[in-house]
Amino acid sequence: MAEFFSTYGSLIVSMVLGALLGLSLYLPLMTGQLSLASPGFYALGGYIAAILSTKVFTSSSNLFPLHLLLLEMLIAGLVSGILGLLVGIPALRLRGIYLAIATIAFVEVLRVLSLNLEITGGAVGIFGIPQPFQTQIEYLWIALPLLLISMILFYRLERVRVGRAFTAIREDELAAGAMGINPTYYKVLAFTLGAILAGIVGAISAHFLNTWNARQGTFDASIIYLTFVLIGGSRTFLGSVVGGMVFTALPEVLRGIADSGLFPSWLGWLAQFLRDGRLIIFGLLIVIGTIFFPQGLVTPDIFKMGKVKK
Amino acid sequence: MNTAFIRTTALLPIFALFFTACSSSTVSTNPANNNATPQTSTVIPIGIAVAQTSNVALLGQEQVAGAKIAEKYFNDQGGINGTPIKLVFQDTAGDEAGTINAFQALINKDKVVGIVGPTLSQQAFSANPIAERAKIPVLAPSNTAKGIPEIGDYIARVSAPVSVVAPNSIKAALKINPNIKKVAVFFAQNDAFSKSETEIFQQTVKEQNLELVTVQKFQTSDTDFQSQATNAINLKPDLVIISGLAADGGNLVRQLRELGYKGLIVGGNGLNTSNIFPVCKALCDGVLIAQAYSPEHPGEINTKFRQAYLDQFKKEPPQFSAQAFAAVQVYVEALKSLDQKSKVNKLELPALRTELNKQLLTGKYNTPLGEIAFTPIGEIVQKDFYVAQIKMEADGSKGKFTFLK
Repeated sequence: MAEFFSTYGSLIVSMVLGALLGLSLYLPLMTGQLSLASPGFYALGGYIAAILSTKVFTSSSNLFPLHLLLLEMLIAGLVSGILGLLVGIPALRLRGIYLAIATIAFVEVLRVLSLNLEITGGAVGIFGIPQPFQTQIEYLWIALPLLLISMILFYRLERVRVGRAFTAIREDELAAGAMGINPTYYKVLAFTLGAILAGIVGAISAHFLNTWNARQGTFDASIIYLTFVLIGGSRTFLGSVVGGMVFTALPEVLRGIADSGLFPSWLGWLAQFLRDGRLIIFGLLIVIGTIFFPQGLVTPDIFKMGKVKK
Repeated sequence: MNTAFIRTTALLPIFALFFTACSSSTVSTNPANNNATPQTSTVIPIGIAVAQTSNVALLGQEQVAGAKIAEKYFNDQGGINGTPIKLVFQDTAGDEAGTINAFQALINKDKVVGIVGPTLSQQAFSANPIAERAKIPVLAPSNTAKGIPEIGDYIARVSAPVSVVAPNSIKAALKINPNIKKVAVFFAQNDAFSKSETEIFQQTVKEQNLELVTVQKFQTSDTDFQSQATNAINLKPDLVIISGLAADGGNLVRQLRELGYKGLIVGGNGLNTSNIFPVCKALCDGVLIAQAYSPEHPGEINTKFRQAYLDQFKKEPPQFSAQAFAAVQVYVEALKSLDQKSKVNKLELPALRTELNKQLLTGKYNTPLGEIAFTPIGEIVQKDFYVAQIKMEADGSKGKFTFLK
């Protein structure tokens, strides 16, 4: 068991972080807004943590103090939230594909900035980020409570007035507006909450990955996070959590299957394909998923299975 | 109701698959994995963590080729005093998280004695601290950025840093044309390697008392360089220095020539691949590129390596393959000398890794790269560097790197 955790420790943490990123993208989707800005805030949060921990909070001790990491997460969340508000108010006047394009542009602006600024280290990025823990798996102390708290909040959110207003806007913005819901207010709220969550996750990831550079928040990343949510299920927060975990783990699970020795030698080519063709399989699953599970793998219907509808 | 049921049933095998994969690797039935514990070993496992997939795979696959030739060559020679080595390959793909996972798998599951990898410096910054904490030696085959051996005691590299290799090509250009005064520099702004390389180039230009007339930036994804090229040509440079990758760098060379630039061109290590021939065709002719490896290097081991590579791939071995071969060779020779002091298959794995790390830093190795050794922090000490010039056939269909004396 110890070997299992030392081998897959970092993967388990990545899965939790993937689930959190899925949730940050799910928030604007709750109000029906296809926003791809999350990777931008994720990158921003990472840069904030990376710069603070390498330049400001330099400590002589072997391990980076945990309370400073929590402080970084707080600052990253705050800055992302303020920026999310500033970007959200004008950008959320756009809808559908136009909003998607505007948010992609926002992510690109941040990426080009990080490539050109001295403080972000240009294309090389920032490396030598101090570690708060001895082993990778211990990041769960930070990531897992964050995920649990977020999930409890999301569970509540989907059942209180604000969450119902989100859903109302998603189903029909005009009708929601006619019923006295202020769509702009709730859309910006959802967008900003997503930005805060992405920023916090970025701060953890920067420490977790040891290094942070401009490749972390790119358009490719946006698409992968969107996959988490769309294939996982965009109608309930559990879809994003499951999607984020399964799709983060998938490439490594395929590697595990290939190495496991389940295949007799005449099937060696299949094991080799699972190992090298992991990304092809990943792409295939996305295509199959969108055809057969247009609502995602986890839908609210699953919870109604016990009840017989007549 | 019905569709929901079908969906849930469809979900089950996915989770089943997931759990099988995780559990089966803990209680592995793979004979190779069981053999990996050195106390009872019949082979000595060495990990190779390079990019076999993603857009970095062009480089990673050359490294796999070099490492495989090394495995066969040294096992044919009797391995570690009779015990054969076994290379364990794990794909890092192109990103940081993938590299961490590959390293974790090699360290904990495959129980290798040392790791060769990863392909990119950015991946190294991410994964090497993990190896450092696990106290397992890492030999970088192609990390040329500043600060790699400084990551820790267990990190070393066989790839000479860009600060040592890059200036050679400028000196070669000055030898060909001593009248060079004005220099224009181009670099790919979004590529970590090009960014650090161009700083070295610009510093060398200043040290040689040349005039740096312009610095132009581009992106590795660009295809149109008209404005940057025109800007530079208007300043009438005698020498152009390009740090970029094969596709963008090749296009830039082509457009510079098409716009009438006649002077010498120096390319960075990113252009050091035959993949640029189809991009700039006949216009590639004459580009100078500094090399850490020459296929024509004299010496028995390089002759054998070159022959094995020629037999298999029908072309001259590239620098990346030679460096991966050299990395495996360093492990093999360090293990051999360690074995003479205390039998390596008697040592416990953690002790073996620590002893191996100490041993490999003290030795001298005669590799295809020439004679190499390491400084105490793990930086390579390499004697021979080369400069190659691209020679294209008139119709632009074929080309090769010819080495300048």
